[in-house]
Amino acid sequence: MIKITNLQKFYRTLEVETVALNDVNIHVKEGEFVAVMGPSGCGKSTLLNIVGLLDDLDEGSYLFNSIEVAKFKENKRSDLRKHNIGFVFQSFNLIDELTVFENVELPLVYTNVPAAERKARVEEVLEKVQIMHRRNHFPQQLSGGQQQRVAVARAVVNNPKLILADEPTGNLDSSNGNEVMQLLTELNEAGTTIVMVTHSEYDAKFADRVIRMLDGQVILETTALSQ
Amino acid sequence: MIQNFFKIAWRNLKKNKGFTAINIIGLAIGMAAAILIMLWINSELTYDRFYKKTDQLYIIGNKDKWNDKIEVWFATPKAMAPAIKAEFPEVKNVSRVTSADNFLFTVGQTKINSGNGLFVDTAYMNMFDFPILEGDPQHALRNPTQIIITETLAKTLYNSTDVIGKTIKIDSTDVFIVGAVLADLPNNTLFNRTQYFLPWQYLKKIGRDDKNWGNNSVSTYIEVDPTTNLKNLEANFKNFTQRHAESTHENVLKPLADTWLYGKYENGKVVGGRIEMVRVFSIIASFILLIACINFMNLSTAQSEKRAKEVGVRKVVGAKRGSLIGQFLTESILIAFIAGILAILIVFLSLPAYSNLVDRKLSLNIINLYFWLMFVGFILFTGILAGSYPAFYLSSFQPIKTLKGKLQLVSSKVSARKILVVTQFSIAVIFIISTLVISKQIQYGQDRETGFNKERLIYVLEQGEIYDKSSLIKQALLQQKVATSVTRTMSPLTQRWSNSSGIYWEGKPSDNTTMFNRTSADDKFVETAGLTLIAGRDFDLSNFPTDSSAIILNESAVKAMGFEDPIGKTVKDMDMDWHVIGVIKDYIQESPFEPIVPLVIEGAKNYTSTTHIKFNPDLSTREALAKTEKIFKEYNPDYPFEYTFIDEEYAMKFGESKKIGSLASLFAGLTIFISCLGLFGLAAFMAENRTKEIGIRKVLGASVFNLTRMLSGEFILLISISCLIAFPIAYWAMDQFLTKYTFRITISWDIFLIAGVSAILITFLTISYQSIKAAIANPVNSLRDE
Repeated sequence: MIKITNLQKFYRTLEVETVALNDVNIHVKEGEFVAVMGPSGCGKSTLLNIVGLLDDLDEGSYLFNSIEVAKFKENKRSDLRKHNIGFVFQSFNLIDELTVFENVELPLVYTNVPAAERKARVEEVLEKVQIMHRRNHFPQQLSGGQQQRVAVARAVVNNPKLILADEPTGNLDSSNGNEVMQLLTELNEAGTTIVMVTHSEYDAKFADRVIRMLDGQVILETTALSQ
Repeated sequence: MIQNFFKIAWRNLKKNKGFTAINIIGLAIGMAAAILIMLWINSELTYDRFYKKTDQLYIIGNKDKWNDKIEVWFATPKAMAPAIKAEFPEVKNVSRVTSADNFLFTVGQTKINSGNGLFVDTAYMNMFDFPILEGDPQHALRNPTQIIITETLAKTLYNSTDVIGKTIKIDSTDVFIVGAVLADLPNNTLFNRTQYFLPWQYLKKIGRDDKNWGNNSVSTYIEVDPTTNLKNLEANFKNFTQRHAESTHENVLKPLADTWLYGKYENGKVVGGRIEMVRVFSIIASFILLIACINFMNLSTAQSEKRAKEVGVRKVVGAKRGSLIGQFLTESILIAFIAGILAILIVFLSLPAYSNLVDRKLSLNIINLYFWLMFVGFILFTGILAGSYPAFYLSSFQPIKTLKGKLQLVSSKVSARKILVVTQFSIAVIFIISTLVISKQIQYGQDRETGFNKERLIYVLEQGEIYDKSSLIKQALLQQKVATSVTRTMSPLTQRWSNSSGIYWEGKPSDNTTMFNRTSADDKFVETAGLTLIAGRDFDLSNFPTDSSAIILNESAVKAMGFEDPIGKTVKDMDMDWHVIGVIKDYIQESPFEPIVPLVIEGAKNYTSTTHIKFNPDLSTREALAKTEKIFKEYNPDYPFEYTFIDEEYAMKFGESKKIGSLASLFAGLTIFISCLGLFGLAAFMAENRTKEIGIRKVLGASVFNLTRMLSGEFILLISISCLIAFPIAYWAMDQFLTKYTFRITISWDIFLIAGVSAILITFLTISYQSIKAAIANPVNSLRDE
């Protein structure tokens, strides 16, 4: 599904050029659950942003479902992203002015899904994440765990092929964190590819494969069996 | 999607009530000011342009050379109109128009001074289609005993407008039948103060008609056939006066539609007129609206950090930039809509006072569909103008920068927000300087020596029996010690009713065309008016009966005539010889801002129609008026006693300037208020943003004074830059404004000092609350959150 080859990413200011990612090669098969780990500043979030088409490469190739997307302009990236990729963030990133229902509905609005169908699909995913009873509440009225469940619901409502999770349990206690990891596991078992950045060795155990990074490079890949 | 936009917009407004309120109030005031100005502009642009036949109507004018300059004026001889009708078949209609004032109207027991009226020819109502309430105005003018009156006059006389066939006695002799009633004439016409129309035949009957082609005393309007070749007509018409009289005048045709806006001539060519005011006020309206929109832009972009995360999330889940721009524009249009409703309310509440200020009856016609279309368009325009920059700015945020944490907005030395604040305050400072300059100019005019004594001096226009019993009235006033001096003149002291270039004196060069103002007086003119004699003596008929053919000159007249020793010299005017008995110091008869024109005051052999009365200083004004009224009632019982104080009339000469001054103050006040509103909001936001920094500085030892200075410093610097930009622009603009006055102030440095200090002080007061509040906050509270 994802094939990244010889990826280079630099950050340049007037005085300094920083290598964020150096000759990274990643291959993620459809249906895999991959965890990316490493110390702060190793480039794992940068890698996730590139995989999620939120940032561009300086050098290298990125094949998404066999399509070369490295040179895509913003509009094309946006189209590809909204139809294929869902995001789950550490700080939830729900919109405070929208209710739970409206937050989850948002991706469907931007893919021009008719209102009746939107309602049905949103209600379906809200049931799935067990937050339907709070559909008319605003994010400020929910606990951290509940907010993350809403974020997961938003990420999956468009039936994306790929979910990118950036430290999804980072702001949660262990109980809520477990619940979220459980949700992600269920989605993966249903066929969704998941790439997750995490600091937590515990969370990494849910993945099929762990990619370890250091100073912008992949230094080790281990499978679940070998962890 | 649009529904979603409005829902989000509404919730955002409710969430940030403070900023929303500042935004709405600022925009509402800006929009209201723009609407008020546009109402006036609309009135100007439709001045005498609303008749069905506007495009076919022209006013006749004259053009001739005076003192090497070509002058154009629009007074014509009474004999011209019938001659035009006879000689030009392409002229469908022609009408003379002249004032018909100072009649006494009697209806039953009601006696009133007639007020403003017009003598017109029968074609007038065919040419100028004013709204009719009752009767047939065209038919009425054909009947020499019918009168057309307006709604207000009808209600004054009869308490009704259903008055066709009713009678009005004019003076003591003539009875007229009401032939038609018109709605009160609109404000935006030269005829706006007219309350009645009398047929031209009546002017003839009372002996005011003449066939003198040299007496340019009426206006002449023509209606041309729409198929007329205007260039041919103009060419044929050019020498019309010359064909009928010995004259060097050329005749011109001016479209009626241009008379109001393009009435200024220089050397025979149109160089502008009221249109310049229209342009200036259009610019002012644009600036005020721009300032309000700048407020909106600044406050919206200042809050960008709060919206950054939302923008990032929306982009991540699939929103394109266009969709986000649409969302933010929807918010700004919603605010503009709410502000627009509030603006309409403000306009309604302030319209009476504003109409008074601009001396024009303005109204908002809210039952007109056109009005609502314009209103919606105005809201959309304002919403898009105000929201465009914030929409493009906010929608440009990249998700990867906004979603990880706080958006780090780099504060640069030259940011768009700073440019917007500087722009706002530059405009505000220009208005402040304009207000100061205009008020100084008015004061300058008011301080100018009038040359006469206007205290306790009134005039009464002679109506009814006053003319015949003037000597008895005068005698009574003096004997009863009501007055210390009385004189009868052609015109009120501070009005010019007559002028001429046809005055002759010994040694006058043959090509001299100097224009002299002309008035007349019977006796004790200098004494009554408190003028200063610099040679000779006053009119004194009791000791010098020949003073009836005497003449007094002002200094400027003596200079124009080149007399070294004027006393005893002869001046010829209107086929009479006048011997010079005195010279007075120049006094202000016309504008206090213009040079004094040569003036001749001819003796009692010329006609008089005004009595000036200098009250006895031993009587209070009320007593003096009461006694004067009693005397006038005794000798002129049929007419109400009406008088005017000379000092009040003189004060009216500053009316136009004061009006402009009041408007300048109003606009300056509005721009300052709107700008300060925005500054207040910005200061609040920036203080909130720097809470952590302030907390740290306090812990490290900064005092309240240090912190207040730090927070205020940036704003004070921006306002100082605004002053530096505004000063040269304001100087140039005001210098241009003052060129229309011959007597004008110099724009001195203290004006700029006052404006600059005021702007900085106002700024400091506006932001000090927020600065001091932030500076005295407990640092523990801000640092605890970190």
